[in-house]
Amino acid sequence: MIRRFFFSVAWVALLLSMCACGQTRREPPPGVMTLVKEQQASWVRNFNPLLAPDLVRYPTTGGIYEPMFIYNAMSGEYVPWLATAYRFSEDKLTLHFDVRQNVRWSDGKAMTAGDVRFTFELLRKHKALDLNGVWRFIHEVEATDDHSVVFRFSRPYVPGLIFLAHQPIVPAHVWRDITDPVSFANPTPVATGPFTEVLSFKNQIYELGKNPHYWQPGKPAIKVLRFPAYPSNDQVNLALMHGELDWAGSFVPAIERIFVGRNPKHHGYWFPLVAGTVMLYPNLTKAPLDDIRVRKAISMAIDRERIVKVAMYGYTRPADVTGLHDGYKLWRDEAIVKKYRWTTYDRPRAEALLDEAGFVKGADGQRRGPNGKVLELEIGTVTGWSDWVRAAQIISRSLQAIGIDASISTYAFSAWFDRLQRAEFDLSLGWTVEGASPYAFYRNLMGSGTRKPAGEAAASNWHRFSSVRADELLESFERTTDAAEQKRMASELQAVFAREVPAIPLFLSPAWGEYNTKRFTGFPTKDDPYAKLSPNQIPENLLVLTRLQPRRSTP
Amino acid sequence: MSAWRYALRRLGFYLIAAWAALTLNFFIPRMMPGDPATSMFARFKGKLQPEALDALREAFGLVEGPLWEQYLMYLKHVAQGEFGISVAYFPAPVESVILTGMGWTLLLAGMAVVISFTLGTVLGALAAWKRRTWIDGILPPAFVLLGAFPYFWLAMVALYVFGFVLGVAPLRHAYDDTLDPGFTWAFISSVVQHAILPALTIVAATVGGWLLSMRNTMIGVLGEDYVTVAQAKGLSRARVFFRYAVRNALLPNVTGFGMALGFVISGSLLTEIVFSYPGQGYLLIQAVRTQDYPLMQGLFLMITLAVLAANWFVDLAYMWLDPRTGSEVGA
Repeated sequence: MIRRFFFSVAWVALLLSMCACGQTRREPPPGVMTLVKEQQASWVRNFNPLLAPDLVRYPTTGGIYEPMFIYNAMSGEYVPWLATAYRFSEDKLTLHFDVRQNVRWSDGKAMTAGDVRFTFELLRKHKALDLNGVWRFIHEVEATDDHSVVFRFSRPYVPGLIFLAHQPIVPAHVWRDITDPVSFANPTPVATGPFTEVLSFKNQIYELGKNPHYWQPGKPAIKVLRFPAYPSNDQVNLALMHGELDWAGSFVPAIERIFVGRNPKHHGYWFPLVAGTVMLYPNLTKAPLDDIRVRKAISMAIDRERIVKVAMYGYTRPADVTGLHDGYKLWRDEAIVKKYRWTTYDRPRAEALLDEAGFVKGADGQRRGPNGKVLELEIGTVTGWSDWVRAAQIISRSLQAIGIDASISTYAFSAWFDRLQRAEFDLSLGWTVEGASPYAFYRNLMGSGTRKPAGEAAASNWHRFSSVRADELLESFERTTDAAEQKRMASELQAVFAREVPAIPLFLSPAWGEYNTKRFTGFPTKDDPYAKLSPNQIPENLLVLTRLQPRRSTP
Repeated sequence: MSAWRYALRRLGFYLIAAWAALTLNFFIPRMMPGDPATSMFARFKGKLQPEALDALREAFGLVEGPLWEQYLMYLKHVAQGEFGISVAYFPAPVESVILTGMGWTLLLAGMAVVISFTLGTVLGALAAWKRRTWIDGILPPAFVLLGAFPYFWLAMVALYVFGFVLGVAPLRHAYDDTLDPGFTWAFISSVVQHAILPALTIVAATVGGWLLSMRNTMIGVLGEDYVTVAQAKGLSRARVFFRYAVRNALLPNVTGFGMALGFVISGSLLTEIVFSYPGQGYLLIQAVRTQDYPLMQGLFLMITLAVLAANWFVDLAYMWLDPRTGSEVGA
């Protein structure tokens, strides 16, 4: 009996493996674009644009739904979208938007200023939806007519513009009847964006079709967006190499060889350094890191070129004394970059700074403080984040070389973040908080508003720094709409950062983006940087989604 | 009579074990540092302003109040079959999230375990029965060697070679993306095609263990006096093989089989990741990564119950395989 069973198993296996052959890959029909942004093993249907972007299926917050303006970090401009113009009043207490005429929802109804007002009223009623805390600085929204809307501020807060401008707008006539918009999965969206029709939704793939009433005539040129589920980077990279993906935003090691080399004519990538700065945060509530000389010494002891080469595959470059990445290129003050040298690799100078701070090298090569204790520092990083771990290894060796007893501690992601938030670390790698201007960047690095006492969880400013000068500058930044004035404030903020060394900038984070021009053209590149390439950049991705063109015939 | 009592007593034992598991299930995730809103916020790596943290807390409705109150609430909800709303897949209820992966996991990992167990046990028994033949000389070392490779590597190589280079197997997913699930020949054959390679890698990696343990126990059993007696009595070779040797040698493997079946629910994590199979395993890491307490509780509960149920069935199977079980003292 067992023998018979064994043979039948063998037969079935044989038959099955025979039908597995004969597998051929079908090319998707023209106009159908395959892309990947989120990495998931299976999809759960959720198109609620009022939730945080990663909780909902791409491109809900920038593709299905749309904002009034799109800030383009590449050009530094606000691109008119569902609104055509904005203006602040003289006292900066009212902000007026002209809502675009002739925009229709995907069900054919007209989009008006009333929808904008309704959306913001929803955020007021449901704090869970007010992701950027806009109701902390506005107190009233009014639709003065069908195509103009006015926001009344409770205090002058010009940097709030981006949060109002970027808010995805939902239709009042649909959302009025939703009792709990927070837990509403919005399975069939009614929206203004280029792609609003859910053609199919399965656990391993979903497809979106064009909005029949899109307000930009003739757009989008793409007919269908397909999103297969890939659980990890390896699967995405395999699909990229195979030519199955038209657009992706994943990290690919040795990309020239692995991806571009397979099809140099069509495979391309662009990794602009605009996705934040990786910092080494010193815990300023602990001695001796409260001593600026020690911080400078640590910074000057680090071989950033090596980190860039070894930990980051040469995809980036070392950060400078302003900490700013290329997303703030238009703001960076080169005079400050030239004036301060503490991000330059200079071991003798680092050693001299430590001597000066009273940490003298003993016979064993270890530096001891005035109290006779060895200078010990722990570098915190995240388990499994190989780039950070390698960077931490290089840093610890650099610090050991100048006589600091540096060690690495890797923690699971949540545990690491918890310690970072409570300031339970000596040195820790970390990211920066992003915004349209250096205002948000420096507010979260140097503003007293973000500084919490050690032990209490802080969402940013983990190193615990504030300065009176920075506060003054941030406050005047909040009050001015004048570009030249803003630029001056930004320069001064950079000067404060360069002078005080609140954190130690390491390298700039690339925004990963890969494309395949076999079936579609018009991707942003280094030579045509009309937007960031990475699909992760919401809502800038709308600029790309509406620009891409299917190729007429396969070349 | 006593068999019934034994079965019931084991059931009682498993009920207590289930309660203990439920309790641990509640407390352990809460001992992890951080909370779901914070870990969700952290996942954005600076793309959200600090204000978003408050909004996320609000959205996930994190329960305040003393722990024991939350615990009682939790027991009540579990009794009603409610696990709450998943955080990682907000706002889907945990039950529906689990259901999306459950079927595929049961299909793939369940089949693979059954095949691997059957194949390994049969081959192991044969290897012991026919010692000093090719079956015994080649199979055990070959399969053990195969099982000694890191599974992740084995699966990646299989995917690369058969899927990418040769193109004979699909690269990902449980069925062709262009098909709609249904009882059609196209869909079923596509499911089968997609399951072969992942299932084969699991079988290849695990069959050695079953084979070796069966073979070793079997060799011990074959040396027993009652086997010699049976042979001396002139019983047919098949009868000695099945009724005297295999039936007794099977016991340790059946215990292992029960455990393995129970753990099927937790999904073959690595298989599902390598082959992008939409099963349960990935849900589990996602739940842990995002500190999704409700989803973790739901999944762990399923795993616990499955392991306990499988063990109870093993106990029952023991009563048939080994009539001594539960008959008198010691059981």
